[in-house]
Amino acid sequence: MPIFDQGYQHWSGELTDHGWRWLTITRHGVRIGMKNRLLRIALLIAWLPAAVLAFFLCVWGLLEQKSDLVQPLVPFLAAMIGPEIVNDPKAYRVEVWTLAYDYFLLTELRFSMLVILMVGPGLISRDLRFNALPLYLSRPLRRIDYFVGKLGVVVVFLGLVLVVPSLIAYVLGLLFSLDLTIVRDTFTLLLACIGYGAVVSVSAGLLILALSSLSRNSRYVGLFWLAVWFVSSMVGTVLAAVNEEHRMHHQYKRAVEAEQAAQAARPSQVAHPVQPEKTPAGSKQRAGPPQVDHQRIWADIQREQREAAKTDWRPLFSYTTNVSRVGRHWLGADRSWEKLAETVPAEERDRYLLENMGAQYPWYWSAIVLAVLVGLSVCVLNFRVKSLDRLR
Amino acid sequence: MLFHLEGVTKTYGAITALDNLSVTVPAGAVGLLGPNGSGKTTLIRTLLGLIPVDNGTGAVLEMDFHTRQLDIRRMVGFAPEDECLFPGVAGVEFAAYAGELVGMRTKDAMQRAHEVLDYVGLGEARYRRVETYSTGMKQRLKLASAVVHDPKLLILDEPTNGMDPAGREEVLELARDLAHNKGMSLIFSSHLLPDVEAVCDHVVVLGAGRLLAEGRIKDLKQFHPGCFEVRLKAGPAAFARRLNNLGCTTESREDDLLLVRVPDGHSQQTIWQAAADAREQIRFLRPQRSTLEEIFLKAVERP
Repeated sequence: MPIFDQGYQHWSGELTDHGWRWLTITRHGVRIGMKNRLLRIALLIAWLPAAVLAFFLCVWGLLEQKSDLVQPLVPFLAAMIGPEIVNDPKAYRVEVWTLAYDYFLLTELRFSMLVILMVGPGLISRDLRFNALPLYLSRPLRRIDYFVGKLGVVVVFLGLVLVVPSLIAYVLGLLFSLDLTIVRDTFTLLLACIGYGAVVSVSAGLLILALSSLSRNSRYVGLFWLAVWFVSSMVGTVLAAVNEEHRMHHQYKRAVEAEQAAQAARPSQVAHPVQPEKTPAGSKQRAGPPQVDHQRIWADIQREQREAAKTDWRPLFSYTTNVSRVGRHWLGADRSWEKLAETVPAEERDRYLLENMGAQYPWYWSAIVLAVLVGLSVCVLNFRVKSLDRLR
Repeated sequence: MLFHLEGVTKTYGAITALDNLSVTVPAGAVGLLGPNGSGKTTLIRTLLGLIPVDNGTGAVLEMDFHTRQLDIRRMVGFAPEDECLFPGVAGVEFAAYAGELVGMRTKDAMQRAHEVLDYVGLGEARYRRVETYSTGMKQRLKLASAVVHDPKLLILDEPTNGMDPAGREEVLELARDLAHNKGMSLIFSSHLLPDVEAVCDHVVVLGAGRLLAEGRIKDLKQFHPGCFEVRLKAGPAAFARRLNNLGCTTESREDDLLLVRVPDGHSQQTIWQAAADAREQIRFLRPQRSTLEEIFLKAVERP
């Protein structure tokens, strides 16, 4: 029994305008999310790659200044990325920064998927389970405010994983370089990081919201998300690998037969000695005529593989590949790899690019796939999260 | 004026939820009565601007419900019928969040949430997660969330559903207090007539989406000329026989109440005289009025 019961008192405060009402939902969702200890730990761990990125950019800045502090690291860096690059760090500044960000964002993409797994499944499914929609919609909110507010929760957490660390690492790298021309050279990276964060947030955010609206049980939604993440990646990788293996086998067979036919037509010509190179698939040497120039065939195959990779659509099955393909295009990672490839011998260049560049199909294919997913997600949300304009 | 509707029709496919409904209701405590499927919830959703109607116009608190839905919802507090919760929060966070969704600033909403939770009697449970609340506590929490921004109009949709008698009485007392002592208009939707009668002074009776009756409860509960309710110290049977012999018709009601109709040209003096002659002690005598139940049944049964 209260000592002094005031009863009901009127309230005479001002109500804010409707425009930012969605932010209330976002703020509430973030507050609820941050109560999850596992999520807080995941966010902390997700910042470790950012620390590595910041450290690397700082080292590069010091390297550009020929600082004694980083001289002990020079042999290690030279072994890792090549002496030519380390000896002239300013000339490769853009490429090194770009690829550092590329690796960073690729790592953070995985953390993003994990963070979404922790944050996203309950966003709508719990509201459906506890019948919270009438509480939202009977207040001065529209459905779009509800969706944007929920999407905002995902955006905030992905921003913490993808964008904020990128910006902090950039500033740290800039501070240690003590060279303002770095802003001129690399400011597009900042824009790319923000754009990449936006693409991941919107596409993955809407996707998890759509999945979340499909079930009242957030565990099932979590499983859906894992399926989107892992199964799509596996399907994309397996299809691409099988196709590559198949193509390589045919190319090799065709090339060897062509070589043998050519030699048969010129019996007097001295054949090249057999090179002790590993064959494409890592298999043993084929038992065939010994005078086949495997090295040249292998180089041709690498070149053809690179060409074929530009039209290979199979990685499109992987959700994460699609996201990273768009991000890598915006970062300009492919251009950077091509420039770095100029430092390796010409005959190894195709192999070098093939190993490092990843999916090579046009980036807008992935953009289209993501746009379709966004459209589907919006349709599902519209269908599943109904207004109250219905009979009970 | 609390709300005004003119020729409002709302259909869901082949089902007509509101059928050319026209009604004007003054400010105060209004009971919305009707059997299940009569259109009460559709009417509430229409008033809140949650659904577009097929035809008709109207206004709530002088605001057109076609064009100013969001403004209406800022001025109205609504506690839905179904069990609904914002999951994963404590009671005080729930009420504060409800306030923020209406547009209150975070600090104001939290402060106000504490006040209203005290008011509805959930002060002790404010830090408990709402999923652990009992049905009665959830109803009171919904009420607290509906009034957190001090609305001009409070809409309660079946607020006593599933509650035990004590909890029901508490909710009715809160609704009564808000409507009669705090100057808040109230729309109280229910199919429980005693609840409406306990809280409201105006009633709108709906049936199959049509307006069946509307007006002040006091006016609707008409006097029945020549009819009286009588309760005696002793049992009513012998006295009823005596009255019958005098030309009166009698009917026993529950709780030893005797309903007496005196012949034309007679007055209650006939009853007093009969009691004096029989040396009976009258404990209670008043002219008979229609009960809300009678009004409701009469309205619903009307073709």
